[in-house]
Amino acid sequence: MKKVLIVDDSISVARQLEKILADSGEFQVVGHGKNGMEAIRMHQTEHPDIICMDMNMPGMDGLTALRTLVALDKNVKVVMITSLGGVGDKFTEALRLGARTVISKPFEAENILKILREI
Amino acid sequence: MAVKFFGQFLVEKGVVSREILLQAIELQESVNLSFGATSLAMGILTEADIERVHNAQRIEDLRFGDMAVKLGLLTSEQMMQVLARQKNTHLYIGEALVKVGGLQADELPKYLDEFKADQAQYTTDTVVIPSGITDSQVWEIVVDLSYKMLTRVALLVFRPEPCFMSDRVPAMDVYAAMNFSGDISGRYVMGVTAATQNKIAKAILKEPNVDNEPKEILDDTVMEFVNVALGNIAAKAAQSGKSMEIAPPEIIEAPDGIPVPEGHKALCFPICLSDGDRIELAVFIQQ
Repeated sequence: MKKVLIVDDSISVARQLEKILADSGEFQVVGHGKNGMEAIRMHQTEHPDIICMDMNMPGMDGLTALRTLVALDKNVKVVMITSLGGVGDKFTEALRLGARTVISKPFEAENILKILREI
Repeated sequence: MAVKFFGQFLVEKGVVSREILLQAIELQESVNLSFGATSLAMGILTEADIERVHNAQRIEDLRFGDMAVKLGLLTSEQMMQVLARQKNTHLYIGEALVKVGGLQADELPKYLDEFKADQAQYTTDTVVIPSGITDSQVWEIVVDLSYKMLTRVALLVFRPEPCFMSDRVPAMDVYAAMNFSGDISGRYVMGVTAATQNKIAKAILKEPNVDNEPKEILDDTVMEFVNVALGNIAAKAAQSGKSMEIAPPEIIEAPDGIPVPEGHKALCFPICLSDGDRIELAVFIQQ
């Protein structure tokens, strides 16, 4: 079962994502970080296969954390899940920094699972 | 389900890979030159002229071409020639994807039609904004997409009330707010009653009952709604050439309502729900 780390300052989004992943029976959520710093720390301690991370968070934002995560581990698999997904510049920046893809909020469960399965 | 641009739509559908999309974007960036770079390529401005225009733009908010005309570096006719050159040589992302081999030329119309159908739900409907506000097109997007998100994400049935300007938004049980900056700056606020907050929480959490949820979770769902609404507004505004950076959402206590900060105007666009409850929506527009 693939291990997933969720990083989002919204507890309701984290709960919703965790339910989708748990119900699928294919993914195990190993932690919930609320900002970029926690993403970096929990990547070291929880060793997730995939990180699902928001962009717009207080403290260290998602793109800054992504840059650091890729510098620390060039094979890290990060999927950005964000309300800013439709902003072309943000989308492109995330891909250039090494995100596997960007999913816009509001998201659909089937779309999230399809993308995570393919990573 | 969200506001997207064409390249993102194709990646999400699995039609093109992220690597191919990045190649196409890089091709676009090499072809679609800025006004200054196009003028340079046409030999009608020098690098020193471009620097002079950039310096002047730090003092006065004018587009590059308008500033070049104001400084006497270009005639109006030359400005129009540059704009025409930019328009005629513009490479759209679909065309760029064909050029880098990510799409077949004959597939492009089909995917463009699918994309238009997917995004039709986010086409901006007519909203009457009070006169005298600059960037009224952006505020139409703000108002219209707020309504659409309330329908599609919060699953609410409502009737919009007319938009108006005010110096205060009224008291509500819970207000969520987000600041935004960039080409336009201000603060987006949404106030709800406890009953409406429960409805929003049910929709966001996809739970039939939220009676036992703690206040922290209920507040978070209102903040997340505002975050999703404003993120999609930023995406739509970007399609209109206006950048909006958004800050994380916050809950604000406002037992006496919220006065509009000095130097701002409030555009209010409240709605009336089918059960008679109200949602107060407003943007504090920085002047």
